[in-house]
Amino acid sequence: MNMKLKLARVAKNLSQQELADLVGASRQTIGLIEKGKYNPSLKLCISIAKALDKTLNDLFWEEINHE
Amino acid sequence: MSKKPFLNMDERSKQIAGKVIAIMYFLTIIALQIDVIVRQFVFDQNIHDFEDLAIILTINSLFLITALLYFGAISIQKLKIKFVLIFYAWIVVLGTIFTYLKYNVFTDANLSFSQLMNKLVIIFTISGLIVLFWMLFSILGKRKIDKELD
Repeated sequence: MNMKLKLARVAKNLSQQELADLVGASRQTIGLIEKGKYNPSLKLCISIAKALDKTLNDLFWEEINHE
Repeated sequence: MSKKPFLNMDERSKQIAGKVIAIMYFLTIIALQIDVIVRQFVFDQNIHDFEDLAIILTINSLFLITALLYFGAISIQKLKIKFVLIFYAWIVVLGTIFTYLKYNVFTDANLSFSQLMNKLVIIFTISGLIVLFWMLFSILGKRKIDKELD
């Protein structure tokens, strides 16, 4: 599940539909990305990052815990 | 307020549509092939009764592979003569086996040696033309991608 994306969207006061409209995707697509059930293209990732004023790392990079 | 298009296709829905269309296309082709086989061997229909279907299937397969080569789905880095000749030989062998089975096993035509030789000439020629056609389009496809990269 991509909590980073959901938190960034909520922090921006955007609904899934509003974010979807900003990036030219459907609400279902945003929902599936947040649930980790759809791998977006790099182009869509960049659009989402720009819409939320975040970097790709902030939204999509998963830290691996080696401990 | 801006009007939203009725059919708002984003990258995910296009991807799903592409997959569904590909599966339905595959099933349609299989169904048509089964139809041709049933007409020929179950209903004993004359070949002229389903020749149109056979032509559609042949042209479809030919253009499917051509499109895959041209648009880079089948990516050939460098065309080697050895590879082309082996590929040509395979098509000829498969064509010969198919023709033999068609006339001497599945039907009672029992071709004579000279008739079989005549068929072989056609197989060699058509296979050669098909290989040349695919070679041409794989070269054109490669050029197209190289042009886009420049």
